[in-house]
Amino acid sequence: MMALSKGKINTPYTVNCINTSQEDLREFLFTLGCYPGEKVTIISKLASNYIINIKDARYSIDEDLANAIMV
Amino acid sequence: MNTVNIVVAIVLAAIIGLAVLKIVRDKKRGVKCSGCPHSCTCSVKDSCD
Amino acid sequence: MKIALAGNPNSGKTTLFNAITGRVEHVGNWPGVTVEKKEGDIKQSLNPKKENLIVVDLPGAYSMSPYTSEESITKDFVLTEKPDAIINIVDATNLSRSLFFTTQLLELGIPVVVALNKSDLTEEKGIAIDIPALSDALHCPVIQTVAAKSANNGLPELINAVITVVRSGKKQVALNIGGVRNASTKEQFEKADKKRFAVVNTIVAEVERRKVSSEKQTLQDKVDRIVAHKWLGIPIFALIIWLVFSISQTWVGPWFADTFVGWIDLLYESVAALLGEEVNPVLGALLLDGIIGGVGAVIGFLPLIMVLFFCLALLEDCGYMARVAMVMDRFFKKVGLSGRSIIPMIIGTGCSIPGVMATRTIKNERQRRTTAMLAPFMPCGAKLPIIALFAGVFFSDNSWVGTSMYFLGIVVILLGALIIRQITGDFSRSYFIMELPEYRIPSVKRAAISMLMRAKAFIIKAGTIILVSNAVVQMLQTFDWQLQVVAETAPETSILATIASPLALLFIPLGFGMWQFAAAAVTGFIAKENVVGTLAVCFGITNFIDTEELALVGGAADVSSVMGIGAVAALSYLVFNLFTPPCFAAIGAMNSELESKKWLAAAIAFQLSMGYVLAFLVYQIGTLATTGSFGAGFLGGLIAVAVIAGTIGYLMRKGSKKEQSLPEIGVVKA
Repeated sequence: MMALSKGKINTPYTVNCINTSQEDLREFLFTLGCYPGEKVTIISKLASNYIINIKDARYSIDEDLANAIMV
Repeated sequence: MNTVNIVVAIVLAAIIGLAVLKIVRDKKRGVKCSGCPHSCTCSVKDSCD
Repeated sequence: MKIALAGNPNSGKTTLFNAITGRVEHVGNWPGVTVEKKEGDIKQSLNPKKENLIVVDLPGAYSMSPYTSEESITKDFVLTEKPDAIINIVDATNLSRSLFFTTQLLELGIPVVVALNKSDLTEEKGIAIDIPALSDALHCPVIQTVAAKSANNGLPELINAVITVVRSGKKQVALNIGGVRNASTKEQFEKADKKRFAVVNTIVAEVERRKVSSEKQTLQDKVDRIVAHKWLGIPIFALIIWLVFSISQTWVGPWFADTFVGWIDLLYESVAALLGEEVNPVLGALLLDGIIGGVGAVIGFLPLIMVLFFCLALLEDCGYMARVAMVMDRFFKKVGLSGRSIIPMIIGTGCSIPGVMATRTIKNERQRRTTAMLAPFMPCGAKLPIIALFAGVFFSDNSWVGTSMYFLGIVVILLGALIIRQITGDFSRSYFIMELPEYRIPSVKRAAISMLMRAKAFIIKAGTIILVSNAVVQMLQTFDWQLQVVAETAPETSILATIASPLALLFIPLGFGMWQFAAAAVTGFIAKENVVGTLAVCFGITNFIDTEELALVGGAADVSSVMGIGAVAALSYLVFNLFTPPCFAAIGAMNSELESKKWLAAAIAFQLSMGYVLAFLVYQIGTLATTGSFGAGFLGGLIAVAVIAGTIGYLMRKGSKKEQSLPEIGVVKA
């Protein structure tokens, strides 16, 4: 298990857990389809932001969130 | 008072009167700011035509 | 018949709403533009039988499960207003996520019609969707739509399907997702929602064929990597804003403006000729200088503003602005905000009021209030005439003036956020996640409509608030306290001058300690365009733009010599007007979003201080640089600035001591 922020570009990872004390973040990510068992792919790393692909959509997330998503 | 002055006075009264009327009417309809492009969105009520 | 529009953010709800009602609501190619529900009647061409059809556009949502923090306006609306049908707008390129929400809508017992929007994009992405199979699986009609297109867009079919479904009177059948009906605890709902996603996945696997996996890198991703680049991101943004200001204020705008101002001059002259010599000078001046001159000076900037709004609308439409939010996130995070705060600020470049209102979607209270307090620092549409006036008269139409004011606005916002964070002692951080919309070629038609709407609004404003303000200013300038007409040799005895003069004393350290400027700054609180109108009335200048004509009489230096200030003082005055509190209407919006009189008072005091300090710095440093010595009133101004800085510093120290508890992390979503 590692944080998504350590992941490589263009490699599909399977979400293991969302490591946060913030319950609403977990719920929000769930509604986007980012929950244990689902796939997530890093498209680009830009400065401190990551562009990731969940389901069929692109999202921009920050470093903190990339650290919280464990794959 | 010559006629020119009377005409000008009436025209002025009409222009300013209409402008004030429009502002007052907008205020009553709940539009906060006359002519704001987002009046419909800004106002509490849905009062756009 | 009441129809609700519901769907994920950025699925095109408002575009569809505008297309079926003929209304023009603000649309942006990014999520979170709509924050309130909006109602409208379906337009005639789509409703040939003239039935009573009302459509309600709801803000986007990803889900409406109980126990999720997702804004549940959709749910509240459905429960309280009981619409007769729901149009669920589904992004055809993203079925696997969108259908999650669809399955929840199906459970409300209200007929649902799915509008499979953006269906024109599926083909180029190599996606094939089996519509009948999808319709079967969801137990509801599915209609392909392209809301952004004006013809052949599937909208008549959509409305027909809605009418048919409602007429049939059948209850909506929900999908069979185990455990949903009996769920009452959070755990049970979570379990059910996992099953829900599983059901969605099965449906998608059945009806959708993708030739190209969405994980594959596309051209769009390459573009993202350039425009959101660590080092290049900001320069590219600056370049684009500079281009927008260049086009509107230097290249295209003035070309239209010259012709337009020519007409206003013509009107002025013909009315003057018509009045002849016989007219009473007070009445004549009120009509000519007060109304035609004052309003004309403001209206003269209309072409420049229209071109600017056209460019900004194109920029919003193409999807670039979401990338700006991503680039700025880094800087905003350093001062305790996040990229989410950028959206209200970008909306605020049109008008601060919707900008302030857009802060409503920010969860964290301190961040929301900070953003609402600072968003008016972006140069809004009403401030553009002031920028254009001073750029034209004192800086020969240089587009760097507008661009630098735009970026100075951002810098001031960052600085302000930093100060507020220290004062409140709330160091919480937020996660930032935002859906990136696809780039698309901006629609010239949509941009033109948006531009015309704003132009109309500008004209209405000029004909009402600004006209009345100018008439009042003209009258106050004409009479003294004994209601005698002021002698031309002693304009300082007028009511206006005696009221504004004490205020002007305060402005001496800022370089514009003249009653005319003080009066204009005050009328600017009614509407920022008034600054231009009042200056026109007070100085008796009716034409600020026609550079050609001015060039004949000695160039733009002419207007500046009438005003009696130099370029440095002009820049200082510009800065002062941009960074003082916004107009009363925007203050009203701030009041309702801040939800606290204490915060509102603090916001206004902060904005006043910010305007004063910045103008002071611009004038004194500028004067020192150009003449080698400080400007007038340096010492007095320095004391005032020191008092302001001292107060803020004290509050910041007090605030940061308060900070003891661990920083809490709040989620921000867009």
